[in-house]
Order: sequence, then structure tokens, then C-alpha cells
Amino acid sequence: MHRRSLLILGSALGLPVWSRSGAASTAPTEARIAWPFNVGPLNPHLYSPNQMFAQSMVYEPLVHYTEGGGIVPWLARAWEISPDGRDYTFHLREGVRFSDGRPFDAPAVAANFAAVMANRARHAWLALVERIAGFDAPDAATFRLHLRTPYYPTLAELSLPRPMRFLSPAAIPPGGNTAQGIAAPIGTGPWKLERSIPGESDIFVRNETYWGPKPVLERLVVKVVPDATTRALALQSGEIDIVYGTDLLDAEAIARLGADPHLLARSSPPIGTRLLELNSARFPTDSLAVRQAVQHAVDTEAMVHSILRDAEPVAHTLFALNVPYADVGLAPVRYDPARAAALLEAAGWKLPAGGGVRQREGKSLVFDLSFVGPEALQKAVAETVQGMLLKVGISVRLVGEEPASFYARQKSGEFGMIFGDTWGPPYDPHAFLASMRAPSHADYQAQRGLAEKPEIDRRITAVVEETNEARRREDYAWLLRALHSSAVYLPISYLTNKCVQSRRFAPMPFGATQSEMPFEQLRPAT
Amino acid sequence: MTGFIARRLASLVPLLLVVSLAIFVMLHLGRGDPAMDYLRLSQIPPTDAAVAQARADLGLDRPLAVQYLAWLGDAVRLDFGHSWVTHRAVLDDLAIFVPATLELTAAALALTLALALPLGVAAALARDRWPDHLARAVAFLGVCVPNFWLGYVLILVFAVGLGWLPAMGRGGLSHLLLPAIATAAMSAGVLLRLVRASVLGHLSARHLLFARARGLPRRTVIGRHVLLNAMLPPLTAVGLTLGELLGGAMVVEVVFGWPGVGRYALQAISNRDFPALQGFVVVMTLVFVLCNLAVDIAYAWLDPRLRLGLAGR
Repeated sequence: MHRRSLLILGSALGLPVWSRSGAASTAPTEARIAWPFNVGPLNPHLYSPNQMFAQSMVYEPLVHYTEGGGIVPWLARAWEISPDGRDYTFHLREGVRFSDGRPFDAPAVAANFAAVMANRARHAWLALVERIAGFDAPDAATFRLHLRTPYYPTLAELSLPRPMRFLSPAAIPPGGNTAQGIAAPIGTGPWKLERSIPGESDIFVRNETYWGPKPVLERLVVKVVPDATTRALALQSGEIDIVYGTDLLDAEAIARLGADPHLLARSSPPIGTRLLELNSARFPTDSLAVRQAVQHAVDTEAMVHSILRDAEPVAHTLFALNVPYADVGLAPVRYDPARAAALLEAAGWKLPAGGGVRQREGKSLVFDLSFVGPEALQKAVAETVQGMLLKVGISVRLVGEEPASFYARQKSGEFGMIFGDTWGPPYDPHAFLASMRAPSHADYQAQRGLAEKPEIDRRITAVVEETNEARRREDYAWLLRALHSSAVYLPISYLTNKCVQSRRFAPMPFGATQSEMPFEQLRPAT
Repeated sequence: MTGFIARRLASLVPLLLVVSLAIFVMLHLGRGDPAMDYLRLSQIPPTDAAVAQARADLGLDRPLAVQYLAWLGDAVRLDFGHSWVTHRAVLDDLAIFVPATLELTAAALALTLALALPLGVAAALARDRWPDHLARAVAFLGVCVPNFWLGYVLILVFAVGLGWLPAMGRGGLSHLLLPAIATAAMSAGVLLRLVRASVLGHLSARHLLFARARGLPRRTVIGRHVLLNAMLPPLTAVGLTLGELLGGAMVVEVVFGWPGVGRYALQAISNRDFPALQGFVVVMTLVFVLCNLAVDIAYAWLDPRLRLGLAGR
């Protein structure tokens, strides 16, 4: 009653009234989502500031990745792989057109591949690009890709949101190098970028000539809201319909918003792993006993419950079981502080009289835990880990720094323990494991002290070229068991996408990857 | 007066040089390699080869003095380089975002004056009575409450609770009101106290005794002899208030999703976007100095002593 009076007063004063109930009376034809940045110029072949979810709305891949590692036809309706695993022949879907009306055909695919390869150094991080020996378009409906060596994750990497997606040839600049810029963001996808207002919003409209099921909604407005608290308040005030992402809202806000009768809060299946990495090449974490003791001394279940409010499942292994090849029966490392203490005692780390920090041969059991200072979640986890480890006599120095310094430590190995995460599908496991061979990655630095590191690297190199499925599975099993038993990783939780949305819409389906947001499937609630 | 303005404008050149050099040195004193920042922002894995390439591309492999002079040479031609985050020319970015900040700052300044002047005068004229206590309480709260917290409370009450005003974004007056209040609160509190003190000081001046002795009506005494004179110190403070408002707008812009240059700068700071930060600092120094110059001109216009002093030089 009181609220109603205030609303009437507001109207009487000439103030516009934002009311969720009013908006709910008609079926919505547009949805408003919040994102921290503008979506960028939407160049399909480049990276930041282009936002991956928006690139995926406008541009499409030859093949589509589904949860668990499945690959389904998309712009290619079928494909064949040569027995030696080096030649891929794609049969393109017929009747597909770019949103400017031009046909999507093999010459268009080849022009886009040429644009990507013209900027090859920029994509060197992607193993597939490094292996491409050539490509051609024998006819309008067939595209062939030739690799220098077999590479089994080829299809998974072709499904990535960038760079192997397709821009209308009319928008490719003269000379064919899209790294110099594109004329306009014209793809084959279900949405078209209508307008961008820097710092304010990006407006997408339905692609009326889309070859597949057209989006139910006519428009999608991406509002630029950099602050997480404001995103939560805007959901409550009804100015935003959906917030979808891994860390766009903090756990407290998600719990609060979930209790709002106008809103619906859900988490996706695992799409990555949050973890801490222990440096096997630095004292004192170079000791297996110390690393194992750390694993047993940290109660990840309590941490996930209190800090993440159970918005993500507790992680016990490097990869979640929905990651291809990851289900190899690894035994979870359980919270067991007594076992942690016993391991340390056996390794000669003794508690001084009166407790405190363990010592051995005059040295204290102390190491650094490095985290990104401004990231509240990492800070909370770091402080909790520090408290838990102190209970078993391990002292942790917290090193909270700005991102540049943090990443410099990942690269140089100047850490005892550091935050990290896996890359999620479709990069897990192959691309994430491949990155472990690069000295610029924290994983390499963390594993550098392991006796089996050369064999780990050799197997990683071999597994992606293995064309025999059974042998590939064996290699992955060996790798995952080796990494698990080395105690270099302390998994915390499996990262999820969180979707908090207005109940004016039916529950939005989750995409199979971090960046895939299937807004084309969003529809009003019935 | 023309000479005064010319001298002030000329002093801008060394000031901008010092400011640009200071920000350049401070940015490069930080831990970490700017090339790593660039790679991180461009989402390129920081392999040794990539770092070396980025250092060469960005000119970071040259001595610091050469880098600064190269930047200065470009800046003189109004080329501040390209932002590592938005990949647009920094000047284009500033042209997009500065107007929104000026709009918010102007609205906040108007609110500051609208609140501080009448309340400050009322408080002084009703010293130690309830209007005075009320005004001092308002000033106290305005100064104490952090602007980001006030912003969230305003959103919670007026957007979420009452639904009267939008929680975020830029649009008409309705979008401007809440962020302007959040930005103005602190400055209004400070200015209110200053106005009150200034008016009180003039109320006990000897020339007022003479004015009253002449039998002038109270309205004339207060209006012509107190308020006009009492406005000079607060007017000086308005110049400083502008700096406060511009600074305060940075945080408020984030809270209200206001597409201003403050938000742009905060993003640049957190990402160590060197070109954007250098461009921002130089342009905002220019804005701040020009605003203060406008205040000084108004001051000289209001105060004949200053005007005559200038004319006599």
C-alpha cells in the first residue's frame, strides 16, 4: 500500500515510473542484458575488444561444439577426414546467406581462411593455425583443409568463437587482411549488430534471413554496466532482464536475487576449473609431502559453501567429468588435516613447542600465495586458505598485486602458490594441456620441478597427433593420473556460467562453452 | 584582463609538460612490463617471442626519454595514440566520453550551488537555531557519506524500491538526477559550511554597523552588504569544487553505468592502458585549469579591487 502511494506520488510529480509489473503485462519482444563492456567492432578474426559471446551471435562456425565434446554439423552439413588425419573435406550447407544477402559458399570460406592465415602470427597460440598447410575450394559447396601433421582436435578448434568464423566477402577489406579492419560486421548468424553507442549499449536485431530457427525475440540490447552491484540492482529494478556469465555477479548477490520472486537464478554445468597451483620448483613446495599436505589441509567444500554460496560444484580433480577423456577414475583428495599433519611430520617438518609454524633444519614452512589484489573472490579464497593452512603449521604470505604483476609471476614462476584456471570447453583438455609446455604459463612453472615433466610434455605433444582413439585415451589417462598424483594442483570449484533472469522469459538454455550464450533460444514465458 | 587571461593560458604549457612527464614516469615506475599488459589486454599468450614483438611494436624497447619525447611529439599534434583496451584513437575516445562527464559535473555543480548557497545563508542568518542545526547536519552527512555508497542507496530507494528513476545509464533528466546527487553530496557539504562561515564573518563586519545606523532596511543590509561580499570566498572554492566533482564523478560513473570519461579512466587504470591514461590526464588537466580560469575571471568581475588591481599593472 505504501509503495503504491509512493508510485502515485511519483507519477503526480511527473517522474517516469519504472515498474516491473507494468512491463510484465505484454509478451516482451526484446531482452536487455548487462555486460561490462561494449561488444567491440565485431571483427570475427580478432580478439579484444571484440567480445566472444557477441562474435558468436553474428558469426558461425563450420561445426558446432556440444557439451561433453560432441561435434555436430553447422555451416558444414557433413565432413570427411582422410585416414592419415591430415585432410578434412567439408560439404557446406546449401541455402545459407550472409545477412547482406551474399551466398555463403566455399570461396567465401576460403577468403576467410586466407584472412586468418594472413595474420598467422597473431593466432600462433592456436595449434590448428600452426598446422594448416593449405586449403582450397574445389567447388562452391566443398571446402578442403590440409594439415601438416594430424591433429585430432581440429574440429573442436574450428568450433571456437574466433578466428575461424565467416565474414561476408563484401566486408573483407581490399587485400584480404581483416587484421586491418572490416567494412561492417556481416555474418550468417541469427543476429545482426544494428548499432553501438560507446559506453552505453549495443543493439542487435534478429537476422530475418537466418537459415536456421530464427530468434523468437526481435531485439537484444546489450547494456554496458561495468559494476557488479549495479548489475544486480538493475535486475531488481527491472531495467535489465538477464545477466549471464561466469563472474558478472558475486555469490552473495546471486543468492539474494534468487530469492526475488520476479527473478530466476541458475548455474550451468561445469565449464572450467578454478584452482590453485603449487610450485614444484621452489622451496618448500618442491616437496611432494608439502604439496599433498596442502591438498589435505584445505577444506574446499567449506570454502565453496561459504565464499561461492554453492553456486559452483566443489572440484576434486583438474578437469570435471564432462570434459572429454577426463573420466579416468581419479580418487578425490579429501579434507583431512590429521593426514596433512602426519605427512609433514614424516617429512621432518616439526611444530615448535607451543605450536605455530613448522620448521625443519632451521627453516620455516612458509611460502607465498599470489593473487590478483582487486579480485574479491581470489582475496577471500586466499585468506581462507591461509587460515586453514596455519592450522596445520604452514604459514602463507599473501601477495595481492595488480594483474600485470600477477601475470608476470605466472610467467616467471615467482610464486609458491598461485591462482589459475583451466580454459573450459572446447579447449579442455587438449589446448589447456598443450599450454603446459609453454614456459610463459603458470602450469609449466608449477610443474617444472617434477621428475616426470619431460615425459608429461612428450605425451602432451604426442596425444594431439594420435589418430588412434584407444591410444589417445590411454595417453590422456596417463597424463591426468601423473598430474593428479604430483599434487601440483589444488582444484577449488568447477566454474559455471550463472544466469539470473527475469521471469518474464522462459528459462534460458545454457551454452556448451563459456562464451556461447544462446539468446536466439530465449523466448517469453508462457 | 586580456593580459591576465593570456598569462594564465601561457602557464598551461609548462603545467601540461610537467603533468604529462609526471604521469609518464609514474606509469613506468610500476612493477611489471607494459608489453605484458598490452598482451593481456589483447588476449595474446605472453610467450617470450610475443613479449619481444609487443615491446618493438609499442616502442618500449627504446630508452624512456626517447619514448616520452616520441609521445610528446605526437601529443603536440593531438595524437595520443590508440587505447590498448578499446583499440580506438585516445582522442576519439575522449571526444566520446568527456561530454557525458561534463554534463554530470555541470549538473552536480548546479546542485551543489542550489543546495549550499541557500542553506549556508539560512544557517548563518539563523545561527544556533534549528535551520542552522539542520543545515550543519546535512553538511556533515554530505561530507561523511562515501559517494559510491550514497549512489547504491539512491538506486536502492529510488530505482529498486520506488521505481521512480532509472538505476543506470544516460538519457534525460531522470537519468541524470541520481548520479548528480551522489556526485554533489560531498562538495555541497563543504561549500555549505564555507558559505555559512563567510556570511557569519560578514555579519559582524563594522561596515554593517554603519549600514544599520544609517537605517537601511534589513533586506538591503543582508542582500547588498553581506551576501555580495560573502560570496567571494565560496566562489574561489567553486574552482576547487570542480576538481572534487570531476574526481567524484569517476566513481559515480561506474556505479550508475554513466558513460563518462571517469569510468574510461578507471578502466584504463585497472588495465594499465598507458596511452589512454596519458591522454586522459592531459585533457582533464586542461579542463580543470580552464574551469578554474573561468572562476578566476568571474572573481575578478565580481571584485572591483581585483579588477582595478589588474588594470593598474
